[in-house]
Amino acid sequence: MVIDIKKFGAILTSRQLGKEALAAYLPNFNNISEEEKIYVNFDEIDVFSPSWGDEFLTALYRKFGDRLILKKSVNASVNASVEMLEEANNMKFNIE
Amino acid sequence: MRNNKLKINEAANYLGVSIDTLRRWDENGKLKSLRVGQREHRYYDSTQLEEFLLSSCVDIAIKWARSSIGEKPSDIFYCSDSSVFQGRLYKLRKALSENKEIESFFSLLISVVGEIGDNSFGHNLGNWPDVIGIFFAYDIKKKIIILADRGQGVFKTLKRVKPELKDDAEALEVAFTEILSGRAPESRGNGLKYVRAIIGKNPVNLFFQSGEAELNLIQNNLVLKIKKSKKPIRGCLAIIKF
Repeated sequence: MVIDIKKFGAILTSRQLGKEALAAYLPNFNNISEEEKIYVNFDEIDVFSPSWGDEFLTALYRKFGDRLILKKSVNASVNASVEMLEEANNMKFNIE
Repeated sequence: MRNNKLKINEAANYLGVSIDTLRRWDENGKLKSLRVGQREHRYYDSTQLEEFLLSSCVDIAIKWARSSIGEKPSDIFYCSDSSVFQGRLYKLRKALSENKEIESFFSLLISVVGEIGDNSFGHNLGNWPDVIGIFFAYDIKKKIIILADRGQGVFKTLKRVKPELKDDAEALEVAFTEILSGRAPESRGNGLKYVRAIIGKNPVNLFFQSGEAELNLIQNNLVLKIKKSKKPIRGCLAIIKF
């Protein structure tokens, strides 16, 4: 399955909104198989921050591990935030 | 604010100054009224007042953060909660989007502003000492963005998870450099390290004060210059220049 991050907004910087985004999205995983990969697409995102990302991406990584795949992004704030999350949480996202 | 004419007492109230101050500013040219003749009443255009406030936003923010008495700032600067702040971030994005000079770090600049503002709300939720919310203003022509809060400050917030911290200066150092993991029960705490990482690689400068300590982060440089402030503030003050 593919998660289009743009559907949560163009500016994703608030930790609280990241938490709400995750809570709203979780029911979508109810019927996926144990092997299915989860792709995260950042196309058309304007601004991203580690706080929003920590609530959403880190939580998904903890739930799905390497099945979570972040699609490469050209947005500088997405890439800088992902780097910060990896460092802060001592983990490595699957990026392709 | 709608575009209309305000009497001198209304203008004074809007700007948070006395009528005598406005008369003095009219006479010395700092803020001219719309009065035609000496016998006419002084009037002020609402747009003119808004522009005047924006042009003085740094001074107003510093005064607001340092004041011993907490009062809500003017509506054009005041974000009472994080949803108002979020709405104004969209306005900032629109205001900056046409500036070709900052195209390469546009998203990073706004994410830094978002992190600093979000920090204020996140760390003070339910614990604001006096004014709830933050001061947020920008002057695109002067390339300056300012955020301030009258919250608990970095020292008090970090001391909960790092009791050995001694003072504001040490707290600032930790906030901008150390990864604080496992900050149970909350997972926040790395926003200012992100801010430092971004400024370290981009043409952005930051002045940040909390309590009695302040620091300067200079563009494309990771070195923190922390020192004791001449005048303490209640919460946090961030001045971003780009």
